Amino acid sequence: MVRRGFAATLTAVALVACAPEVSRRPTSFTPLADPPAETIEVLQDQKVSVGLGYDRVVRRGTPWTRIGRCAEGDVYRPVGRVFTVEGAHVHEAYLVLAGDRLVGFYLPVEHAFAPVRDAPITLSIRRRPS
Amino acid sequence: MTLTRTLIVAIAAGALLSGCASGAKYGEVASSFPALNPSHGRIYFYRPSAFGAAVQPDIRLNGEKVGTAKPHGFYFVDRAPGNYEVAAATETEKKLTFTLAPREERYVRLKIQMGLMVGRIVPELVDKDEAESDLKTLSYIAEPLK
Repeated sequence: MVRRGFAATLTAVALVACAPEVSRRPTSFTPLADPPAETIEVLQDQKVSVGLGYDRVVRRGTPWTRIGRCAEGDVYRPVGRVFTVEGAHVHEAYLVLAGDRLVGFYLPVEHAFAPVRDAPITLSIRRRPS
Repeated sequence: MTLTRTLIVAIAAGALLSGCASGAKYGEVASSFPALNPSHGRIYFYRPSAFGAAVQPDIRLNGEKVGTAKPHGFYFVDRAPGNYEVAAATETEKKLTFTLAPREERYVRLKIQMGLMVGRIVPELVDKDEAESDLKTLSYIAEPLK
């Protein structure tokens, strides 16, 4: 029993130590010409994942403002909050929505798109025009 | 026996605390920090936990050492807007990437995580509210490179 617990702990530690990179591909980002733009508010907590073992929650009540567009959809940045995705490393991330569906994340430093694992996820949102 | 145990606990506690930051607390010094140049942003680094206090790797910002991961301590650097990568070299290196805008303040929490042999530091980008709550009990490291 103790051995099994020890082995499970070691496996968990090994998995964390060997986490894969966040799956992503290069994308082109076009910023909005005239910000500020539309803001959305997420109405329900939504668990999302971009890789094995690292879930994130898009929190209820967090406002996100549209800052531009990439090939995969509209890009929203959190207002007054931070959001990151994690794999082997941790990356600041913005939501990418196609309509009300969350298709993935835009990584502003890497200029890359990271798809959500179970895409697309329909978000419960309220839109506030600018 | 009891005395021996007490001594061991005292020595262990002493060893643990000696590795921790011990300067003025955030609330005592925050108002005296220099105003941020409007063309720059500010990045705070802090480590709230003393767990794994022996592990105090260098913290690098875009490859440049800016300090170490000293338990119960915090410090900050001002930088030009742009893309940044924080790295802490321990058993395995976990990096954090984020953007910095003019006048923006970013908060990087240095979290200890159990590794295969020793602990490792994972840098996390945190919300201002959460960071300010964490910072209340931490000590300012005025010269993080020393």
